[in-house]
Amino acid sequence: MIFLPIVALVLGFLLVYRFSIPSAWADYAAIAILAGFDALIGAVRARMEGQFDEAVFLSGFFVNMGLAMLLSYIGDKLGVDLYLAVVVALGIRIFTNLGRIRGLFVRARLAAHRARHASPSH
Amino acid sequence: MRAFWEAGKTWTLPVAGVCLVLGALLGIQVHTQRLRGATKVGRQSSALVGMLTNSQAQLEAQAKEIERLRAQVGKYENEAMSDKGVTQRVYQELQTSRVALGLLQVKGPGVELELGDSTIMRRNGSEMGSPEIYLIHDYDLIMLANELWTAGAEAVSLNDQRLVAGSAIRCSGPLIQVNNTTIPSPFVFRAIGDKENLVSALKIPEGTLDRLRWAKFQVKLTPKDELLVPAIAIAPRFKYAKPVTEETP
Repeated sequence: MIFLPIVALVLGFLLVYRFSIPSAWADYAAIAILAGFDALIGAVRARMEGQFDEAVFLSGFFVNMGLAMLLSYIGDKLGVDLYLAVVVALGIRIFTNLGRIRGLFVRARLAAHRARHASPSH
Repeated sequence: MRAFWEAGKTWTLPVAGVCLVLGALLGIQVHTQRLRGATKVGRQSSALVGMLTNSQAQLEAQAKEIERLRAQVGKYENEAMSDKGVTQRVYQELQTSRVALGLLQVKGPGVELELGDSTIMRRNGSEMGSPEIYLIHDYDLIMLANELWTAGAEAVSLNDQRLVAGSAIRCSGPLIQVNNTTIPSPFVFRAIGDKENLVSALKIPEGTLDRLRWAKFQVKLTPKDELLVPAIAIAPRFKYAKPVTEETP
């Protein structure tokens, strides 16, 4: 079912949309969101490759989120823009995983297409 | 390959849970950014915005404090005025000192002098040469203030900032600071005093105004029968200077 996660995403969004957080936290929330999306897209890819593991996924989601925020927090304390390193690293990973997903998807479609046209009914 | 949207025991529920958390984070973040006004307010500028808001709140609080204290002083004076005679004379003297200190708004005849940046830049459309040429500088304003005092001005203001004994005019980037307040161009001097004296002092050949006019600055000098010069916003405080009192009989 693809619908349940999407419904959950929209529901979560709508439930908290009336709240807001202090300005100082907003930057860390943005980093956390990026880490969360990275984990989610990584999970989709692992699922397509048949390597999905619940424990790896859940631990990766929460730990990576915390680490990303911690790294940017330390960067802020040290006066180094470490959050940029987080953004770049996560951004590259998201793009790479999306590319893999696309590749897997297109290859599967092509294989199905060929299988159909190579059938002996022709 | 497996299609990721197919249901799976260990797939749908964890992903849905994570999506709920992610959606919530996204919702709170989007809402916060919307409240922040613009998404363009990024990391670097948010610190500056915080500082600005902070100092604006401080400024407001201080202005309120000034108002409160002035009202208090007024109340004391009214009480003191109730017994006539000596206190009346003391009050008159106090008023004179206040005018000299710039603590009161004053009115009277004088001149209004408006200065705009040079038209050299505007006419060419693009920036020509350095800003040195077409901007009014702190030293221009200092010279003009000096000229006005020399001509016998009794009260002078620059962009509604009263010039008093401790008023410093200084450069702060493309703007000017007076009484620790930043003022932009165009600059308007209002000086109370003898109209003819003031005008002729400013019009002196080879003087500051002459130089500015020659460099195509927009100068507008108008004598006025009555103009208002505002009071200084924050009264000077004397922390180190103590009066030397002589033996009073």
